[in-house]
Amino acid sequence: MFLEDIARYALNYALSHGANYAEIRLQRDNGSAALLKNGNPEVSSLIKNYGIGIRVLAHGSMGFASTNILNRENVSECILEAISMTKSVSRRLRKNIDFSSNIVSNEKWNATPKVDVNSIGFDEKFELLLDIEKATISSCNDFKMPNRLFIIESEETEKIFLNSEGSSIQSSVPRVSFTYILTAYKAGKGTAQRFNQKGETKGWEAINEWNLINFVADETKILGKILKQAVAPPKDDRLDILLGSEVVGIICHESCGHPFEADRIIGREAAEAGESFISPEMLGQKIGSDAVTVVDDPTLPNSYGFYLYDDEGVKARRRDLIKNGFINTFLHNRETAIEFEVETNGSSRSEAYNKEPIIRMANTYMDTGDYKLDELLEDISFGIFMKNFMEWNIDDKRFNQRYVGLEAYEIIKGELKKLIRNPILEITTPALYSSVDAVGKDLSFNAAICGKGDPQQGVPVWTGGPSIRVRKMRLGGLP
Amino acid sequence: MMNHEELVDLVVEEAIRNGAEDVAALGSLQKTRMVRFYNNKISVIKAWRNLGISIMIGLKERKFVSSYNEISPEKLIGSVKELIKLGEKSKPNYDYVPLPKGPFKYITRDHKEDLAYLSGKDLVEYAEIAIERALKEGAKRVAGTLICNSEDIALKTSANIFVKDNASSLETFVRAFVEKESSGQGISCSTTLKNFKPEIAGLEAAKIAKMAKNPKAFQSGRYSVIFGPFIFANLMNNVMEAASAFNVDAGLSFLNNEIGGNVASPNFTIVDDGTAKNGLNSRVFDDEGTPTKKTVVIGQGKLKNLLHNTSTAKKFKTSSTGNAGWISPSAWNIIIENGAYKENELFKELKNGLYITNNWYTRFQDYRNGDFSTVCRDGIFEIKNGEIINSIKNIRISDNFPRILKSIGAISNNRYWIRWWEVATPTLTPYALVKDIGITKSVF
Repeated sequence: MFLEDIARYALNYALSHGANYAEIRLQRDNGSAALLKNGNPEVSSLIKNYGIGIRVLAHGSMGFASTNILNRENVSECILEAISMTKSVSRRLRKNIDFSSNIVSNEKWNATPKVDVNSIGFDEKFELLLDIEKATISSCNDFKMPNRLFIIESEETEKIFLNSEGSSIQSSVPRVSFTYILTAYKAGKGTAQRFNQKGETKGWEAINEWNLINFVADETKILGKILKQAVAPPKDDRLDILLGSEVVGIICHESCGHPFEADRIIGREAAEAGESFISPEMLGQKIGSDAVTVVDDPTLPNSYGFYLYDDEGVKARRRDLIKNGFINTFLHNRETAIEFEVETNGSSRSEAYNKEPIIRMANTYMDTGDYKLDELLEDISFGIFMKNFMEWNIDDKRFNQRYVGLEAYEIIKGELKKLIRNPILEITTPALYSSVDAVGKDLSFNAAICGKGDPQQGVPVWTGGPSIRVRKMRLGGLP
Repeated sequence: MMNHEELVDLVVEEAIRNGAEDVAALGSLQKTRMVRFYNNKISVIKAWRNLGISIMIGLKERKFVSSYNEISPEKLIGSVKELIKLGEKSKPNYDYVPLPKGPFKYITRDHKEDLAYLSGKDLVEYAEIAIERALKEGAKRVAGTLICNSEDIALKTSANIFVKDNASSLETFVRAFVEKESSGQGISCSTTLKNFKPEIAGLEAAKIAKMAKNPKAFQSGRYSVIFGPFIFANLMNNVMEAASAFNVDAGLSFLNNEIGGNVASPNFTIVDDGTAKNGLNSRVFDDEGTPTKKTVVIGQGKLKNLLHNTSTAKKFKTSSTGNAGWISPSAWNIIIENGAYKENELFKELKNGLYITNNWYTRFQDYRNGDFSTVCRDGIFEIKNGEIINSIKNIRISDNFPRILKSIGAISNNRYWIRWWEVATPTLTPYALVKDIGITKSVF
C-alpha cells in the first residue's frame, strides 16, 4: 500500500547529500465527514492526504521538506532544497542542533477497530444524525433550538517511519469523533450555546457506545434549563468551587500540559504559541497542593490521543507532569531532551505528512483521588459547581487563565441549588493548583484538537480528570 | 506527469462520465519555504512542494466534497468513482443549488511578481536582517517566522468554467523580547519584493518591547482603548467570520440582524475584497467560479451584506458575493476603511485609557450574542493625558462584539497589512479607538 521504496530512497539520498541525520515519514490520512445543519444534510466529504515528510540535521541546523509528488526526481529536489537551506545559515545564526540518543526500534503497531467506519455508508451516518436532530427538537419544551450543527467524522492514519539510526516503525490508527453545537433561544432570555466533541481511537463501535440520541437529548434539556432558570453569579467575596471533569480537563491541558512542553520552555514557540512561565530550574518545585497529580499518557487504550511510538520513533510512555503538587517532568522530544540532559519521553507528534514533528500532549488529565462526588459536595457550605464551560483562554506564558461555566449550580450546605449563569473563574496557575484540597474518583475524558506550531497543526487529544474541589476562590469578571 | 490544470480537466470529464450532474475541480501547485527562529538563532528551515485537487460533486441534490493529494490519473479516476458511489448513498441537501453557469468575465490582475524564485539562501538572509535590526534596537531575544509562498491554481466546472490564477507572497512576523515579560511584535507582508521590509518588522518589534519594560499589574474595569493593527485585525477577522452566511445560519454569528440595520458606529466601514491589489489572498474567482469582487459588509455602521456562495445566497434570497467555499463562504482580504486621525492625534483623542498592541486566544461564550474574551499580549500601555505613562501586563478583554462595533470612535488614516498566526485572513487595518472596553484580570 505504501511506497516504502521511496522512503528508503529518500533516506539514502538525504544521507548521501550532506545530512548527518535523516528521518522519513510516509503518512496517509483517509478521512470522512457527514455534516447536518439545522436538519439539512449539508455535505458529505472525503479527505485523502498522502505524502512524505523528510527531516534532516545538516550543517548544524534542522531542515524539513515535504511533498506529495512521490517520484524520485521531485523527492530528491525537495531534500536538496532543505539541505542547501541549512547550509546557508550563517555561523552567527546556527544553533548546532543535535538529538538525544534513542533505542533503535523495528515495530509494527495498530489500533484495530471492531467495526470499520468504511463499512458504514453516508446514508447510515445521516440517518443517525437525523435521529439525533429529531431527539433534539422533541426535547425542547418551552424554548426553541434555532441552530443545530452535528458532525460525524472518521479518520484512518497509516504511517511508515524510518530514520538513519535504523529505526523502522509502521502503524495504523482509526479515530472517530462527534461534534455538536446547540443554540437554545427563548424570547426575553436570549440565547445559550453548547459546543462539545466526543472522540476515541476506535471504529464505528464508539459511535454506538456513545448513545448519541439520548446524550444530545439530555444536553438539549439542560441547555433549555440554563436559558430559562439560571441566575447571575453570587457577589460573595470568598467561596469554594467544585469543578467538573470537563473543566478540570481543559485546566490540565492549558495550564499544565502546555507550559510543561520543553520547546516552549526554551522559547522555540515564542513567536506564535508563546513561551512558558515554567523555567528549567523549577523542576522539583512545589506548584500545587499534595492532592494534585497531572498526567499525560499517550498509551491509554482507545484514547483520542493514543499512540505507542511517537513521530521520532520513540516508545510512548506515561508522563507524570505534576506529582503530588511537585513539578515532576516536562514533555520532551529528542531536541529538547539533549538540551535538558534527560531522556526523551516520546512527546513528538505531527499532524500530517507535511508537518514537522514537534512536542505535543496526548491525553492530559488530573489523576484520581479518593472522594465520591457527594463527599466533595458535602463539605462546601457555600460555593459553585461548574460542571462544564464554553469560553476559555489563557495567556501565552500559561499563567493567567479564564474558564466561564455553562452548566453551573449554586451550592448551599452541601446541596446543589439554583442554576448559575456564566460564573467566571479567572486565576493564575499556581493559585489554582495550590487551592485544590480534594480530588474525586470520577475520571472521565473529553476529546479536542490541540493547535500549535507554524504552520499550525491540530492533533487529537483527550483532556480529562475527576471532579475537584478548590477552596477560598473569588469569581472573576468585570467588577 | 500531469499538471494541476490537466488534472482538473480529467476529474470533471470523469465525474460527468460517471453521472455527476454538477462538478467543480480546484487544482493547485504550491511551493512554500519557511524559516523559523528563536533566541536569535534559526530553529528550522522548511520547504514544501504540493499538488492538490479538491472536488465538489452534485448528484440528485446531494452535495459531496473531497480533497486529494494522492495524485496520479489512475488514482484520481478511482477516487472520483468512489466519491460518486459513496455520495449516491448520501441524503439530499434541501439548499442545494447547481453551480453558477459560465463563462464569466474575470478581471485581469496585474499583480504577479513571482517570488518563487527566491532561494532558501535569500530567505535566511532576510531572517537575519529582521533579527539583527531587532537586536540593534535593543532586543535581547528575537523569535519569528519568515515565509515565501507561490501558488498556481486552476478551476474547472461542469458549468462551462475553466479559469486560472496565481499568487505569491513574502511575509515575516518578528517577536522581540527585552525582558521575560516585555515583548513586542512587528510584521512585514507583501506580494512584492519591493514592499517587503524585514528590517521594519524587527525594528517595530524591538521598539514596542523596549516600551513594554517593567510592566505593572492593572485594575479590572471599563477603559477606552486604542487598538493597534495586530489586535484590531484579529477582532475584525472574527467580525468577518460572523459575516459568513453559513455561520449566521449555523448560529455561529452575532451578525444576525436585518440587512440595513445599524450594527456599528457610523464612521466604521469594513469590506471584503478578493480583487484587492496587493491583497495577500486575492484571487479572481471563487471555488464555484463566480468572479470575486469588493463586498461592503458593514458600510458607515449599517449591515450591508453577508458573504455568500450560491447555496447560502439561495437560502437568504440574494446573490452570491463571490466568496464560495463549497460548504461555507469566507472572506478573501479584509479591508477596513481608514479614518482621518494621525496616530498621535488618536492618543490625544483618547486622553486617558489603554493602548493595546496585540492579543491572542479569542474565544466566545456565545457566538450568537457575541460575548467573548481575548488575552492581551506584547505591549500594553496605560495612557494619561495622551501620553504613555506605564507598561501593563496580565489583562484580558472581556466584552461583547456588537457593543464593541457600536463603540468605535476615532480611526487612524494610516493602515497596515496584517497576516500572522492569529490573523488568518489578510487584513488592511488602521488603529482604532474604542470606548469602554471591559478589562479583567486574574483575581489571585
